[in-house]
Amino acid sequence: MTNSISYLLTVNGVDYPVTGPNHLSLLSAVRNQVGLTGTKEGCDDCECGACMMLLDGRPVNSCSYLAAQAQGREITTVEGLAEGNELSRLQQAILDTGGVQCGFCTPGMLISAQALLDGDGDPGDEEIRIGLSGNLCRCTGYTNIVAVVRSLATSRYDAKPEGG
Amino acid sequence: MTAVDIPRFVRADGPDKVTGSGRYAADLVLPGMLWARFRYADHPHARIVSLDTSRAERMPGVLAVLTAEDVPDVRYSAGVADRQLFARDVVRFEGEIVAAVAATTVEAADAAVAAIDVAYEPLTAVVDPEAALAPGSPLVHPDWQSYDAAPETVRDGNTASFSSISRGDAKAAMAEAHTVVSSRYVADASHAVPIEPRAIVAQWEGNRVTIHSSTQVPFDARAGVCRTLGLPTNQVRVIVPHLGGGFGGKCGFHYEAHIAALARAAKRPVKLVFSRLEEFLAPDRRREGMVVEITTGLDADGAIVARTGDLVIDNGAYIADAAFFPQIAAMHVAGPYRIPNLHIDSRLVYTNRQPSGSVRAPTAPQACWALESHTDELAGAIGMDPVEFRRRTIVTSGSVGAAGQTYDDIGLAECLESAVAQIGYEPGPGTTDHGNDEAIGVAVGWWPSFPGASGAYVRIDDDGKGQIVTGAQECGTGAVMTLRDLAAAELGLEPTDFEIVYQDTAAAPYDTGATGSQTLLNNGRAVVEASQQVAEQLKALAAERLEAAVGDIVLAGGSASVAGSPAVSVPIAELAAEAAGAELLLGHGSGTPGEYPELVGATCVGDHGVAAWASPQFSCHAVRIRLDRDTGVVRVLDVAAAHDSGTIINPMGALGQVHGGIMMGIGQALTEGTVYDDEGRQRNPMLLEYKLQTAADGPEITVEFIESGTPGQGPRGAKGLAEAPNVATAAAIANAVAKLVGRPVRQLPMTAERIWTTMQETGDEAGGDR
Repeated sequence: MTNSISYLLTVNGVDYPVTGPNHLSLLSAVRNQVGLTGTKEGCDDCECGACMMLLDGRPVNSCSYLAAQAQGREITTVEGLAEGNELSRLQQAILDTGGVQCGFCTPGMLISAQALLDGDGDPGDEEIRIGLSGNLCRCTGYTNIVAVVRSLATSRYDAKPEGG
Repeated sequence: MTAVDIPRFVRADGPDKVTGSGRYAADLVLPGMLWARFRYADHPHARIVSLDTSRAERMPGVLAVLTAEDVPDVRYSAGVADRQLFARDVVRFEGEIVAAVAATTVEAADAAVAAIDVAYEPLTAVVDPEAALAPGSPLVHPDWQSYDAAPETVRDGNTASFSSISRGDAKAAMAEAHTVVSSRYVADASHAVPIEPRAIVAQWEGNRVTIHSSTQVPFDARAGVCRTLGLPTNQVRVIVPHLGGGFGGKCGFHYEAHIAALARAAKRPVKLVFSRLEEFLAPDRRREGMVVEITTGLDADGAIVARTGDLVIDNGAYIADAAFFPQIAAMHVAGPYRIPNLHIDSRLVYTNRQPSGSVRAPTAPQACWALESHTDELAGAIGMDPVEFRRRTIVTSGSVGAAGQTYDDIGLAECLESAVAQIGYEPGPGTTDHGNDEAIGVAVGWWPSFPGASGAYVRIDDDGKGQIVTGAQECGTGAVMTLRDLAAAELGLEPTDFEIVYQDTAAAPYDTGATGSQTLLNNGRAVVEASQQVAEQLKALAAERLEAAVGDIVLAGGSASVAGSPAVSVPIAELAAEAAGAELLLGHGSGTPGEYPELVGATCVGDHGVAAWASPQFSCHAVRIRLDRDTGVVRVLDVAAAHDSGTIINPMGALGQVHGGIMMGIGQALTEGTVYDDEGRQRNPMLLEYKLQTAADGPEITVEFIESGTPGQGPRGAKGLAEAPNVATAAAIANAVAKLVGRPVRQLPMTAERIWTTMQETGDEAGGDR
């Protein structure tokens, strides 16, 4: 049988003990051991982006990222985007503009969008579209999602969650 | 229209979906839950010589192994009962289930299905639907005559369902036509590809089973379980958690019975989660491949005098819900045009490929692509601008369509003018002023609305807050979410005053499900009726309290008041508190479904009721594309869409449907096609090889809704909408490509390779290099 190893993962600021084989994926660890199921599995092949998490602020496809390699790093999932009980500006804006339909791609899409908004540059249309191109959405045609990210990027310093 | 112009629409399920707290079927875990895996056919067509599960049954952690021997010997599917839960004797496509396992871990279940010993005698695979019609072709179902079938399903050997539509005398009129154009188009099969792979969890309590399933049609799924396992309706409960998209791919009855049977055998809850590979290979909901041959005759003035068509549709191994496909595909090859003489033969043909079934506007994108490409060829043949040609020949209010339906108030002409105006179309056959590598293509489309039975309860509890209990299914469109707006308007409350209980067959009355764009049309009608009953109760209470006539009571702004005297009022919450101690505020609605129109002068063989269209929806899409002449790669730059779906109740939701439908249409036009090997196996059943469009591929999209008056159907004159935007996009792109290439690309998807190859043929005919 495969060797099992134990370690801590820091997800949305909380440390969780994880035990599993060397090849345990970050997605599987977070969904099945940490118990946060907001992040979705759509293909297990790095093609759909539904499983995206932020790793030290950088979006990764967690289906194909080893959980063991995420030790000691800040993991952010969709559950970590809200500020307490308040939706973040991004979460609220994507709802207000019709960027959510079935919602299955939404957790990963929000992660990619957040990474764009957290970046240093001022992303234009093309950059936003490329930045979201790792997240497949079959419902919305992307139009309103691109529009909401563009609008939040334009008012970048307002885009941070309102405190308290 | 841009996003900022859209009134705010509050999705009741929105916060759940953006915070990750929402539960989808794959997220569910029950105590003692086992994992299911299927053993699929090892050949697309073979006889099972022996099947031995004994090794698998002895493996650690394995609690149940089922085959055809373990379930009732029952066939299912509405048009033709040709399918069973497990293969018996013969497997007919690569995704057919031979056995199912439930084990304590996924790994144990995987090991067990691999340890099932099956010996096969391979049979000749029937893979080409045209060849399958030839005399002497092997039959996919040699016992087809012994299957139960609906009386309207006309069958013969490998022809699973035949339909024809005839009106006038097409042969005679064609013989006298001034100009005759014949075309042949071939569309590859494609897929719905919801981003959520399906998942099911089943649990028994006594003789009752609760099945959590990612289905678009919970009541249909329940019926399938009852039929195949021999259970009464009231012992089967299907609950759908949040559904991660469907697009038709999750319509029908799929694996709920397998998982229920495993859970019963193992005496434990059982969960199935599909991989992306299974999602491509196994469901009976592929978008069908199609061969369209079409001939049209024009008179000297360019009017259509006759059309004939011959359609061959690849059904795959089992009919699923596709029995009506030949007739609806024939309607799309007739198209929304005035044609006095018509004859179309249309055949759905068995092959040893994955079964076809309803995917978003089944048959329409491919048939519209063929028809509208042909329409541009017609215009070209007489030197007329293709938009002008359509302007002169499409159906308008009061005109008679090709199958003999007289249309009421319809907005197709307005859709055409809107789309060409939005995109800045400039007339002229085959020419473009947008540079040598850019062109605009235009296509019109249509799709029926489907009136049918649907039910809902509405109640107001003691604090004045409402609850809508509906059989309707939300698959992301927002249609169920919009029901709150309808109830609130009837009851003078705010949409946020209502919660919705939905997607539970034990809680709510019947609904067809998220299929046929019918949710608002039919369940909206039911919710309005139920709300009106409660409104009458509230008005009676208010009339007594305010000492006024019932007919003078107005419900608005959370209060009941006397018409003309708004100060004489009582809060609805107070009336609700009063009712809570007496006659409860409780309404139930179903309403009478709208009627189907009459056809005059048409003969329909194999009539599945889809030649006469209730509240037909119309559309026109115009696209601007750029072609890279070195590679054949097409980029869609702009799409202008105009839709007549009647009254738009939820503008944001409606816009989302059009955006998404267009994007799916671009994929169908350019990249989405399934490739098969010689035995009927899919060669690209993964997202790396089967390419969906991404955000980076997206064009600028503008949309206008033409809100025609449509009495007698949906609430406030609404028609369906969700499928219509998926109809005309590929056709519009094809017409732009043909302008740039010099001739149509006759196979869908119009991949870069196919476009480039067509360009070389054009160059060769022109006498060398371009």
